Amino acid sequence: MHFQQPRPKNDDERILPLINVVFLLLIFFMLAGKLSSSDPFTIAPPRSASEAFVDAHDLVIALGAQGQLAFDGALLDEASLKQAVADRIKDETSLRIWLKADSQSDATQLITVMELLEAAGVDRLKLLTVPAPMEGTAG
Amino acid sequence: METPAYAPRPPALKRGRRRALISLTPLIDVVFILLIFFMLASSYLDWRAIDLNSPAKAATGASAEGALLVEIQSDGLRLAAEELSLDALALRVAARLREKPNQRVLIKPADGVSVQSTVDVLDRLKAAGAANMSLMRGGQ
Repeated sequence: MHFQQPRPKNDDERILPLINVVFLLLIFFMLAGKLSSSDPFTIAPPRSASEAFVDAHDLVIALGAQGQLAFDGALLDEASLKQAVADRIKDETSLRIWLKADSQSDATQLITVMELLEAAGVDRLKLLTVPAPMEGTAG
Repeated sequence: METPAYAPRPPALKRGRRRALISLTPLIDVVFILLIFFMLASSYLDWRAIDLNSPAKAATGASAEGALLVEIQSDGLRLAAEELSLDALALRVAARLREKPNQRVLIKPADGVSVQSTVDVLDRLKAAGAANMSLMRGGQ
């Protein structure tokens, strides 16, 4: 059998399928991803079997593998972090606070930050994790 | 262009598409740039959360007495100074929880223990049924 493709007359018609695919990709990436400000350092979050979903990030405090602390995209030391968080939650008491710690950071320091935030008036603190891979040892 | 875009269509080509008045190339450029922006700027991590409790908040009065103390050392786990594997610890805690459902569990990571090891223990004990868990600093 012999099919003859009708040849498009101009360039625009020839690239229409490309545009369709690119539009689909664009819509996919817009819907699947979540735009968020990036942290000043890389964080590999710990894996856990927790099922609790995260709906909104109100305040995120980042703790890096080398013990760096960041809040609102700025690197801070412990005292200024406490001050900054206390200032922020003074006005809005309903804010939820998330701690984004690197999986290789020191657990002792995590607890130090936890206590520091409690002293700053944080009521409920949660640690952000990612789900463990299916073949993991969880459960 | 060989023919003006707005030229009347010959009747024979009735099914033919209308020619675009505007070239699509700049549109594709912009769409590509948007695509690359969204690909690079978005994060695709599936975030979950676990509760963090410290004993100071959870403890009211002298309830630290009678709590199970799980120590995480860099070389293993200890429950009341006895060395255990994670599985054995989960079994032991589950047995204790059957007697006393609201049993407090204190988890005390040693210096140099990573957050991941701590989260593993928290996960495992939560799966074993422990609801009242607190993290405690080693130096206390």
